[in-house]
Amino acid sequence: MLNRTPRILSAAATAVALTTFAACGGGGQPQTKADGTPLKVYRHSMDGAPVNLDPVQSAVIYSNFVVLNTYDTLYSYKYLTRPYELKPNLAKALPDVSEDGLTYTIQLKEGSGFIDDPAFPDGKGREVVAQDFVYSIKRHFDPQNRSQGAWLWQGKIVGLDEWKENGADYGEDVEGLKALDDHTVQIKLVKPFPQLIYTLAMGFSGIVPREAVEKYGRELSVHPVGSGPFRMERFTTAKAVLVPNKNFRQEPVDLAAEGYDPELHGQFGLEAIDGKAPPFVDRLEIDFITETASRWASFTSDKEVQYSHVPVEQVDGVLASKDPITLKKEWSDRYFSYYGTEAGFVYTYFNMDRPALGTSDDPDTDAKNKALRCAMVDAFSWAERNARFYSGIGNVFPGVITPVVPEFDPETPRDSVTQDMDAARKALKDAGWTPETLPEITYGHVASVTNRQMFEQFRGFMVELGFPVDKVRGDSYATFGDFNKGIKTNKFDVGGLGWGLDYPDAENTLQLFYGPNHTPGSNNANYSNPEFDALYKQTAVMQPGPERTEIYRRMNQMVIDDCVALTGLSRTRIYLWHKNVIGLPDREILGGFWLKYVDVKTGDAE
Amino acid sequence: MDTLQYALRKLVTGIPLVLGVTFISFVLMVYFGPDKTYDLIGKNATPEQIAEIRADLGYDQPFFVRYGDYLRELVTLDFGYSDSTGERVSRILARTIPISLALTLPGFILGNALGVLLALIAGFFRGGLIDRAIMAGAVVGMSISFLIIIIGFQVLLSSSYGLNYFPVRGWEVYSLGDYLYYVTVPTLAIVFVSLGYNTRFYRAVVVEEMNRDHVRTARAFGTPPAKLLFRNVLRNAAIPIMTRIMFSIPLVVISGSLLIESYFGIPGVGKVTYDAITTGDQPILKAVVGATAVLFVLTLIATDVMYKVIDPRVSLK
Repeated sequence: MLNRTPRILSAAATAVALTTFAACGGGGQPQTKADGTPLKVYRHSMDGAPVNLDPVQSAVIYSNFVVLNTYDTLYSYKYLTRPYELKPNLAKALPDVSEDGLTYTIQLKEGSGFIDDPAFPDGKGREVVAQDFVYSIKRHFDPQNRSQGAWLWQGKIVGLDEWKENGADYGEDVEGLKALDDHTVQIKLVKPFPQLIYTLAMGFSGIVPREAVEKYGRELSVHPVGSGPFRMERFTTAKAVLVPNKNFRQEPVDLAAEGYDPELHGQFGLEAIDGKAPPFVDRLEIDFITETASRWASFTSDKEVQYSHVPVEQVDGVLASKDPITLKKEWSDRYFSYYGTEAGFVYTYFNMDRPALGTSDDPDTDAKNKALRCAMVDAFSWAERNARFYSGIGNVFPGVITPVVPEFDPETPRDSVTQDMDAARKALKDAGWTPETLPEITYGHVASVTNRQMFEQFRGFMVELGFPVDKVRGDSYATFGDFNKGIKTNKFDVGGLGWGLDYPDAENTLQLFYGPNHTPGSNNANYSNPEFDALYKQTAVMQPGPERTEIYRRMNQMVIDDCVALTGLSRTRIYLWHKNVIGLPDREILGGFWLKYVDVKTGDAE
Repeated sequence: MDTLQYALRKLVTGIPLVLGVTFISFVLMVYFGPDKTYDLIGKNATPEQIAEIRADLGYDQPFFVRYGDYLRELVTLDFGYSDSTGERVSRILARTIPISLALTLPGFILGNALGVLLALIAGFFRGGLIDRAIMAGAVVGMSISFLIIIIGFQVLLSSSYGLNYFPVRGWEVYSLGDYLYYVTVPTLAIVFVSLGYNTRFYRAVVVEEMNRDHVRTARAFGTPPAKLLFRNVLRNAAIPIMTRIMFSIPLVVISGSLLIESYFGIPGVGKVTYDAITTGDQPILKAVVGATAVLFVLTLIATDVMYKVIDPRVSLK
């Protein structure tokens, strides 16, 4: 027994030594190149994980973010210009549009190559050609691909829907979607569609080579083969590791053309990338971290992820002031920061197809229900919603035209987002509602603590208005899929939702209330107003301009006046990043496009 | 030969168990699980697109046709592609199970080994101060939420508020140093949370064994404490201890540890399984449920065989 003791002690000492060694020097991929110079590695973080990296299924913001870095799109957005402004990406210039607005001709840049991949002969990535673009859009209309983006072009491109109906044979041409030659694309529209160009800057329009689809089939979803600035080296639900695509076209950054403003951007060191061709980092790592505490700990450890937005629960600890937003000195000393309003909004809709709150063929019931909805709008306090759930820094606005789009009107009266409980109670009484006659309403939400709290806050306002507490019921769904099913099958009267803009045009939120888009389409409120619908149709073919903006604003007012929803709030996001990073993060419209511009100061450069 | 015959016989009798488990699970998946259709549809779907996706997912097929497909997949070990990521299920499991094993095994072994050791000490000093101290520690360990333990260890060892020696997240393992770097904090968390449960269970076993005549006799003959505990007590308590350990193995292999994997950013099978449950990714769920059922049957057989190894009086019939 005695002679065993030293052995046990020795084993324990070895374990301690190994762990100490690990703590001191372990960890990860090589940090230097073969010649000994340090690798430039940027570690980004996101608060969710992509599930599918095939452009046809890149609806989720996290998927779209990665897709935009691995696949090329014809257009993208200027890095620093706000409001967001389109610019050519793989396209040589903005499209040549015919007089009638129906034919778009787009020239592609020459010499842009797909990544080297076994899908190609000899594993060498070939040049991207116009036929690849045509093939990639057609894929959305192939039922086998479960496309989430087909709605963007449905009924809009000549012959494309028919191509699907005829069996989606890739050998068959589509009249409205042609490659005129290797570097020219022609799109013919059924009717003018001014937003078309925006759709060509979305991940959905990422250009996929046919060889890769044939080689990887469904597994293209985890094995991206594109011509974007990066090549995927490794991808799991926890992390994506990307390296530069060496076949990516060499295009020096023109910082002035990208919207550089020394006053706004001078502090971030962006001048360093002017005139140089991206991507700049040797390795791009994206950590998908759903757990806020873990993301924050990783960011503030100063040796892991180099970017994080400030989580709601940390806002009070980080900010010195909320209006204007300023950081406490200890944080501004450590990190760069930037903040902005999200390109999207949160709102709570009333289901107009349900008898409790909806429209009715009987004019009396219809008027009574409208009075009830409007009273609920008056009873709801966006100020309290903002304070409780968005740290009081959200941007509350009336209607559905969000603050980030050019059509937003800051002068819109704010009655619909200002609580007036007395007026609400009076309206209810005037319409003849009493606690006994008020309907039972169900409020649908995904099961989570925050959603439950939001429901309870909503119920609190309704009880204050005069609803008996048992007449406002929560309907909780375990997953977003089930909640979405509840929405699409009209299972509840009230539902809280968020919408991320696909492009910076108010059409993208106004379509949420367009009659023909009723469920299972995007009009979850099932709002149907012939006047609104007529104006929507009218504007759908109009180019941006004051006339269209004026009509948009009228439509916005209709949604407000008909009390279709409690709306809305755009969240304010505060981005923090390490001071050795050269860049300006964005997770809104620009999204994943900004990562190709990111650079990192290595030890020598600092 | 007897052992082989026994194992084969048990394997055959395990088939109804596998069928039962898979059938019940499949009923739950189909009738009570999330509907994947509405997770996959685009922002502005039409009824036709919804019908296309339902057909593609096989939701339009009768239940027994779908269950028949499941059994065929189980036999051929081909579960197709994940409905979420589109990756082949076999590839997902082959990639994630080894990571989960490498992640949880050290904690599993240490948690059990230390649990047995503490249980022996507590049992030996039953009713005394040492016993009470160990049991109080065990109750504390059992009382603190796993989440708090994880966050606590992260703050203490991996953040700028603490020692900041280890990573908060990641799994970039290319060497032993890397492995120890990434596995240390998760292992500490696993050991901390499992030690309380293990110690309490093993102590009960040890205490029961300590009261037996042969232990009393050995004590009366002046057997030294260490020898008494390891030879007379532990050997005879091995069957319940081994049973507990063996039946934990399928969970360690298949389930991984969801919280550990999520909070430490480790791409193991626990997170994959959790995501599959919450999103209704049936191909993955079918594979995990089937593999767990089969593994349980194999564990059952292995446990029976090991009973005989530990105690030759046990007969395999």
